[in-house]
Order: sequence, then structure tokens, then C-alpha cells
Amino acid sequence: MNGAEVERRALKLGYMPLSDCLPLLVAQQEGFFEKEGLEVELLQEVSWSNIRDKVIVGHLDGAHILAPMILASSIGLGGLKKSLITAFSLGLNGNALTVSNTLHSELFELNSREFDQASNMKRLIEQRKAKGLPALVFATVYPYSCHNLQLRYWLASVGIDPDKDIELVILPPSQMVDHLKLQHIDGFLAGAPWNSVAILQGHGHCLLTGVDIWQDAPEKVLGVTLEWAEKNPNTHYALIRALYNACAWLEDNAALALPLLEQHLSLNSPLIDQECLIPAITGDYIFDNNQLQSKAPGILIFNRFMANFPWLSHGQLICSQMKRWHWLPQDIDSEALVASCYRPDIYRQAFSSLGSEDITLPSDNFNQQHLALL
Amino acid sequence: MKPARVMLVDDTPSRSALLEQALLDQGLTVVCRLESAQGLIKNVEVHQPDIIIMDLESPDRDTLENMTVLNQHNPKPVIMFSDEEDSKIISQAVQAGVSAYIVDGLNPHRVKPILDVAIARFREYQALRKELKQTRDQLADRKIIDKAKGLLMKTKGLDEEQAYHTMRKMAMDQSKPLADIAQNILSVMELLTP
Repeated sequence: MNGAEVERRALKLGYMPLSDCLPLLVAQQEGFFEKEGLEVELLQEVSWSNIRDKVIVGHLDGAHILAPMILASSIGLGGLKKSLITAFSLGLNGNALTVSNTLHSELFELNSREFDQASNMKRLIEQRKAKGLPALVFATVYPYSCHNLQLRYWLASVGIDPDKDIELVILPPSQMVDHLKLQHIDGFLAGAPWNSVAILQGHGHCLLTGVDIWQDAPEKVLGVTLEWAEKNPNTHYALIRALYNACAWLEDNAALALPLLEQHLSLNSPLIDQECLIPAITGDYIFDNNQLQSKAPGILIFNRFMANFPWLSHGQLICSQMKRWHWLPQDIDSEALVASCYRPDIYRQAFSSLGSEDITLPSDNFNQQHLALL
Repeated sequence: MKPARVMLVDDTPSRSALLEQALLDQGLTVVCRLESAQGLIKNVEVHQPDIIIMDLESPDRDTLENMTVLNQHNPKPVIMFSDEEDSKIISQAVQAGVSAYIVDGLNPHRVKPILDVAIARFREYQALRKELKQTRDQLADRKIIDKAKGLLMKTKGLDEEQAYHTMRKMAMDQSKPLADIAQNILSVMELLTP
């Protein structure tokens, strides 16, 4: 334990059963919370809306939460208006787009050599329209999510209007595979392990990963209310250090964490076994059940490449995309909104007593590369 | 003033039936009761509810939240409580497991009584469940105690009162519930019996 005494020892943290909740599980199991003087109770939740509401009303001290939700809640989009902040990113990337077997073969019949399936998708959508067929249906996990923003970004890159040319629905991650199997949806963009579940069970093919859309993408963050952070600064620092240590541990020992992840993810999902957790965690990814695995080492990053730093540029990227789809008013001051939600100052403060050999801190809070894709 | 139109989404039919009756008693109209979000959007269009009450523990909540985005530019469902002032009732609702969405235009003064009823019924249901569980546990305990008592009588040649007294004393000495002692006796005896 280092730093000043924590204001609160007993904390309740919420998480959704997804592979990228691992830093919380590991911090608990490997004693990183305890080392910082924290007694943490982890609570599994069933929806992102629940996580947000429970953090806002104070039933949870903090949570594994979607990065765009922090911005959305801070201005009252889609729910309660309450200032939420993040000073810690739980990692980078993790998402993938999986399509049904039918859609996959239709796309490859059009052009099997086309690497970028986006233009094939556009041709297919146009053909379907000409034939009077219903629009393709794609699912993501929450409206204000990087999943939704990435899918929209990818579709729009070839001129597909995600609000007109396809139907976009929201489904809980755990229901994606069933809906794909039952052909209620033609594809989904979700996080690990749900793409691997669909692929390994033979219900879909991974068309591309999130990294193919946005490199070093923001995904889940540690979210707390501004009020909580102001009341419990030392607790917040301790929490950040504990999670950082868990993320660093995961970078070298991810495979060791598989039983722990399985134990928590299979609680409410009979579809989860260890096999489906392996691809995203180890980077030995399987895109198609009939093919050999490929190396996709950056598919889910827990710690390297300064993955835990709450980059203002990540906030800006999300903000720019939320504006693009008219979820944010066009005249909103994005810089001010991001600065109020993304708090690299707190992250830096948490590590202020450590030397540069223990942690690498960037010289700038902004990484221009994150905005290169705009 | 027309009675508010309420839609219930809850995968526990017995609870939503309880809530429906309570809302009807208040003179409200329950237009639709769903057990999942399957067909949710269509049902909202067909039934035009003023307010949607949903079980907080339903994973389908995120699906419902999407309607608030889809219909942003139309007078369609929006989540309630855009102000911070009602934080107490929100906290109560979250505690009780209730989430609610109002459709644009329903006066907040008309929302509160509906939510109060929902919170009360959800709590009542929680209490009923707890009571039922306690009764079940007690019955199960009773069975274990009787079995252990029978075993003691048979193996130690005690009468019923002596057997009960022995267990009672052990429970008090070890400050453990009687049922735990009975369970221990059964486990040990099982181990020792060839």
C-alpha cells in the first residue's frame, strides 16, 4: 500500500460479464485491491443501464462501464443527468463484427478476394433493395457504445447510411448468438467472448475485428461519479493503482486468468466455456470455424501501449462520432465536455509517488494518432 | 383527465399480475404486459403507453433504452427523471428493482404515484419471496432435525426428549443453529456407518 489513507475501505464495484471485466476479477483474486487497503465486493450486473443507474444513485462506488456512457450521462443523454468521470481505461479494443453464415457466403460470392468487405456489403445492400428484400439487421450492445460507433463508422466509410440502409437493434451480448442462430439478425458487433461463441458454435463468421475499424480504440473504463471522486480522492487513487497492477499482471499472465473468467462469465450463461474465452485473451483468434487460428495479438489489450491512460483524445474521438450521428447538439463544446469527463490529472496523481521505472506516463494528455481516422 | 396508460415488462408473471391489480385499483389502465423485450418496440407502437415499468434485473433494459435514441426527434419514449431532484425516489426504485420510462408529455406529477405503487408492489413481492424462502428453509431444517433425532434415538438408545436435548445442548455450546448441528450429526453418522 502506498499513498495516503483511503477514505473508504469497503467498495462495491459493478461489472458486466465480458472478457474485458478481467482487470476487476484479477485485482480481487490476486490481492491487488487488498494491497491498496481496499475491500472490494464485485457485483455482476445484467445491463449497462443498470450499471449506470446504480453508479449514479450510489449503490455502486464505481463500475466497468462503456466509455461513451460517461459522456452521455454527463449531459443527460438517454437517462439520468449526472456527472460521471473516468480516470482509468480498462484496456483497448476487444470488439469484432460477426455475420451469419448466410450473409457471409453472400458477401463472398460477390467477391471472394475483396479484403475490405465494406464495399461488398454496400453492393449487397443495393442488390437487396433492388429486389425488394427487407433491410439487413445488425445488433450492437448499447446505443452509446463504441460498438455502435464503430459499426456506424465502418458502414458509413463506404456510404451506407446506418439509419436508413440497414436496421440497427440493441441486444444484450448474451443473446447475440441465439438471435444470430434464429436469423433474427444478420450480424452483430460486440465484445469478447461473444464473437468467439458464435464462431465456435458454427453460427457465424467473424468479418473483421474492432482493430480493423479503429486502432487502439477506447472501450471500457472505470466509471465513477464526479461527486464520489471529489469525496474519495485517495480511495480513487488506490483503486486506479490496484486496477493498473491487475492489468499489468494480465499482460504476462492472461492465460492463467481463464478459469477465473470462466467461473464468472458462466454464472448466467450456459454458452460460456473456456474454449470460447481463449481467442480474445491469448490473441490466437479464430475467424471462422473451418479455418486455422490466426494471430490477432492486439485484439484485446489490457496494459501495453499505455492502454490504461484516460486519453483526452479518446474522449474527443467518441465525442466527434456522437456528434456525427446527431446524438450531441452540433454546437456543444466538445473540448469542455471531454475535459469534464476524462481525467488524466487524477490518473497522474495516483502514480505521483512512483518512479518512472514503475510506470510510463505520456508527456501529453492527447494522442493525435487517435484522431487520425477522422 | 384520461387515466395514464401503463405497460409492464417483467419476466416474473406473478409479480406483474400483482402490480397490474394495484395499478387498476388506482384507476390506471394497464395496456400491455410483456414477459420479455421480444416485440417490445412493436408493442409500444401498438399500445401507445404513457409509461413503461420494467424489471431492473431484465437484461432487455438496454434494448428499451435504445428507443430513447431512435425516437429522439419524435414525441416518443424518453427515460424519466432528467432532473437530479428526484434522486431519492430513483434510489428507492433501483433498490426495489424497478425501472421506468415515460413517454414524452406525461406530467411528472402523474408519474410519481405510479412509480410509488410499482416500488411498493416490487417490495411486497420481495418480502413475499423472502417469507416463502424462510418457510421453506424452516421446513427443510425441521426435516433434518427430525432425521438426526431419529438417528440419535436409534444409535444411542435415547428417547425423543433426550435426543432433542442432546442436540440442543450441543447447539448452545457451539453457538451454532440447531439445524447445523443436526446436519453435522447426519454427516458424521453417514461416515461412520459402513
